[in-house]
Amino acid sequence: MSFGERTSRILLSTPVLRIGSIFTTLFGISIFVFLVLRVIPGDSIVGAFGIETGVLTPEQIAQLKIYYGIDKSLPMQYLSWMQSFLTGNMGYSYSTGISIASLTAKALPVTIELALIGTILGVVMGIAVGTFSARKPGSIRDFAGQLFGLMALAVPGFVLSTTIVTIMANKFHYFPNGYEFVRLWEDPWMNLQQMMFPGLVLGIAVAAPVMRTTRSALLETVDKDFVRTAIGKGVNPRKVQTRHILRNSLIPIVTMTGIQFGYLLGGAVIVENIFSLPGMGRQVLYAITRREYATVQSSVMVFAILFIAINVITDLIYRKVDPRIKK
Amino acid sequence: MVAGVAFVAPAQAASKDLAIGVTLDIDKLDPHTATSFSTVRMLGLTYGSLVEVGPKLDIRSGLAASWGFNADSTELRLKLRKGVKFHDGSAFDAEDVKASINRVLDTKTTAAARANIATITSVTGSGLSVLIKLSVPNAPILAALDGVNMSMLSSDDIAANKIGKTVNGTGPFKFVSWEPGQSVKLEKNATYWKAPVKLDTVTFRIIPTEASILAALNAGTIQFSVLTSPTVALQVGKNLNLYRTPGLGYVTLQLNARVAPLNKLDVRLAIQCAINRAEVVKTAASGEAKVVGPITSPAYASDPNDRPCPNVDLAKTKKYLADAGYADGLTIKAIVSPTQYATASGTAQNLKAQLAKAGINLELDILDNATYVSRWLAGDFAAAVANNGGRIDPDTMYTRYFPSTGNLNKVAGYSSATMDALFLKGKATGRAAERKVVYKQISQELENNAVWIWLFAPYEYRAAAKNVTGFIPLATGSLIELRVVDLK
Amino acid sequence: MKRDSLKPKGGLYYYMQSTSGIVGALLLLFMVIVSICAVFGWLPHDPLEQNVEFAMQGPSTTFWFGTDEFGRDIFSRSLDGMRRSLTVSVSAVSIAATIGVTLGILSGYLGRWFDQLIVRLSDVIFAFPAILLALAIVSTLGNTWYQTSLAIAVVYTPIFIRVARGPVLTVKEMDYVKVTRILGFSSLRILRKHILPNVTAPIVVQVALSLSWAILTESGLSFLGLGTQPPNASLGLMVSEAQSIAAFAWWALFFPSAFITIVVVGLNLVGDGLRDALDPARRSS
Repeated sequence: MSFGERTSRILLSTPVLRIGSIFTTLFGISIFVFLVLRVIPGDSIVGAFGIETGVLTPEQIAQLKIYYGIDKSLPMQYLSWMQSFLTGNMGYSYSTGISIASLTAKALPVTIELALIGTILGVVMGIAVGTFSARKPGSIRDFAGQLFGLMALAVPGFVLSTTIVTIMANKFHYFPNGYEFVRLWEDPWMNLQQMMFPGLVLGIAVAAPVMRTTRSALLETVDKDFVRTAIGKGVNPRKVQTRHILRNSLIPIVTMTGIQFGYLLGGAVIVENIFSLPGMGRQVLYAITRREYATVQSSVMVFAILFIAINVITDLIYRKVDPRIKK
Repeated sequence: MVAGVAFVAPAQAASKDLAIGVTLDIDKLDPHTATSFSTVRMLGLTYGSLVEVGPKLDIRSGLAASWGFNADSTELRLKLRKGVKFHDGSAFDAEDVKASINRVLDTKTTAAARANIATITSVTGSGLSVLIKLSVPNAPILAALDGVNMSMLSSDDIAANKIGKTVNGTGPFKFVSWEPGQSVKLEKNATYWKAPVKLDTVTFRIIPTEASILAALNAGTIQFSVLTSPTVALQVGKNLNLYRTPGLGYVTLQLNARVAPLNKLDVRLAIQCAINRAEVVKTAASGEAKVVGPITSPAYASDPNDRPCPNVDLAKTKKYLADAGYADGLTIKAIVSPTQYATASGTAQNLKAQLAKAGINLELDILDNATYVSRWLAGDFAAAVANNGGRIDPDTMYTRYFPSTGNLNKVAGYSSATMDALFLKGKATGRAAERKVVYKQISQELENNAVWIWLFAPYEYRAAAKNVTGFIPLATGSLIELRVVDLK
Repeated sequence: MKRDSLKPKGGLYYYMQSTSGIVGALLLLFMVIVSICAVFGWLPHDPLEQNVEFAMQGPSTTFWFGTDEFGRDIFSRSLDGMRRSLTVSVSAVSIAATIGVTLGILSGYLGRWFDQLIVRLSDVIFAFPAILLALAIVSTLGNTWYQTSLAIAVVYTPIFIRVARGPVLTVKEMDYVKVTRILGFSSLRILRKHILPNVTAPIVVQVALSLSWAILTESGLSFLGLGTQPPNASLGLMVSEAQSIAAFAWWALFFPSAFITIVVVGLNLVGDGLRDALDPARRSS
């Protein structure tokens, strides 16, 4: 093998390619979010001062531009942000004076916890109802299961959330989210109570597509030749169910779960607002509204790293679950 | 049975903790640069200013016990209150007043109140006497000394650059902690100069949606709240106390008289005559607002009927449009930001529907908050559905908008020699009776020229549990009267 | 591929065998008729007209679904809203599905560096807050339904890429596919005969799901001024605006929500019917 051939072999080999592509993606995201923020009208000064910006003198504005880091040229701003980010300094939130890293360290676990609860509830409900439905297609049980799936899809999350809040708080005087948010390790019982309703709302939203995907995938697989062959061969139908059918249906379910979990990690803003959960969704939306560039940029980078991690894990699960996909 | 004298340990009084539900977090700890309302509201409990505003919005003594102007309102002498202490125990005196006012005047501070007190040339004094000298006669300066943006800070703190990092004020409550996005905790100031504070702690809890705030009140997890949405306020039940006060802020359809076709007085008057304000109040604010004129400061409040068209008169509208050459109608683009305040979207939609009946197409340009503010500041609009803040003094309310030298005159979209002269007159006069005449003239000048279309002043709401006693709401939105509140 | 009988039957025949499909088709027909009426203005009242004297009234003979706080007819607005919601939803998902499925299949089939490129590109979009993207599109390109559709399309494309890619990866490794590749059959033929049929079902499900989600995504955007502009109506905007007055006017929330339910149920049932019809290996009972 020539040197050239060997080099290209190594460069194109899967692990190198994979790591290289991850870094390229992150780089792409950083540029994308940086530019998009600058394209939108309004800057950090207007975001922070609002209409009072109008009474600032030109000298004050120049001084503020330096403070908010928007005085230099765009490439310079990008480089200086990237440089600090890569050295672990995500910048400061101008309103609180606290480092974005510590703000994110506080908000991220909340979002992760909520996303996990929502996804787990949703997947459990979805697979259960989907399997229930698929067992006897066209029957009353199928109809009931389908109805659940479609209702879960049609009811908007904010309607469900406010309904729960209204009934619980006004009728039963029970509203754990009306107390200050406590972390899982501070007071697990209270924390779970505060996560319960939002988790349920998100769980229902996740259950809908998971249920439909499960049902569809199961119905697909049941008719496949190899299943009929197995039954024909005399394999116990129940065994066929679990081993063959479920396993082969898992790919689309895993895909859907990964996607849903990813979305929830991005921060379920509406649910976080209605249930006063101090998560990433609220943090990012607040920062976007106030044009706190560093906070948005750094938060998006954190998401990106998480998403990519989830996708890599999902791909690995594909290979584990479906024996036919070889490495 | 225990006979004789029974020894009973004194019962521990339960801590009086008040939890307040608010939708927005504070955004800083420096009172001089605080502009966001939620920040001002919280800091108002920890800091104090030389003068205060009473429930009737009259100027009262605060950290200044008494004062007096010289003959031509160019000098203001203040006698400070005795025995006032900052939270860290240090005494409040003239040094602190000097340092604080100079800090506001220093452009490097970017203080919000700087423009209001720009006529101050020097602050001198010692002990409990202060002399403020002004460059021109400026009677309204007294009102300008009120408010969180004019908080008196410790001169030591200013010298040590601690402002915005720590909170050390003279207010009824001491700052304890700020958990961003979640809560701000305050505790009682045992050495407060006014009456003893009854509450032990006050916690601002951030609950982003007002419907959830109401739920928290109903479930008893909070005892007090500030609400802005009329529909939520109307759902407050008999189990709670609702305090409803007309605010100083007002909703208006700002017109940019420098842009065609609004540069024609007839067009602007046509719009004024086409609007039924009561209908806007009913639809956009669920009836929970007061129709107002330009000035909402109670002592100088405009009479909403004192305008060319206090009521709808479509015949007049038609005539004005025809005179202006727009007999077939016209289109005006209006910017509006629905997320800014509860009544924004409703106001815009109802105005559009009403104007449509008169042949005027109000095209709505719906923008996100920062985009709206950018365009608003640049005067880059023909019309804007705005909710602007009001003040207790009409000069501070409009001096930035309508005099041609005002910082926001570009936004106001109008200026005239008459207007300039009137504003100067208002600043020069010290006596209330004379001032009332001047500001009435300003109000009439604004309405006769249909500079903007003033609509209504939304009510402000505080909702509280029944065991919260003694609270007095202020139209400025200040919660200062929590200093006398008790929890039964 | 097996054939159940000697005479080849068309997809339509199989579609008609499915009850879900029929019910869904009827609902779809209803939605189309409603939309046509809205487009041509064949409505009992003008959806924008404010009759303030009749504000906040329940269903009556004049206003079949009642009125909102401006005295606007909720029935007419619901019909108009359905048309708007469907327009945005269908156009957004069409774009997202076309681009996403194509890229997903190619990505899964071709593998290696191309696959990595596409997957990572879709990650870039996925990691991006949708609101930020929508703000950027609307700020630069304008505030009509085209831009809203575009924003939603961009946000939904990664899902289609992922959903299409998954089955392709599975099928690609199957023995009989490998054999056909070795035997030199053209990629196009392999794609058409073997890959596409396995990808159809999940994609049909995903299209129905995305169409349903798009209606509510549009609602979230409208609330921030990025979607349908008030006073125009879309079902999602009506539902989010009705939240504040729901305690006083349940009809303002109920009827648009019911319409959303009809759309969601209809689209998904049609999806089921299509899936049954298109997949020759599976015919539902």
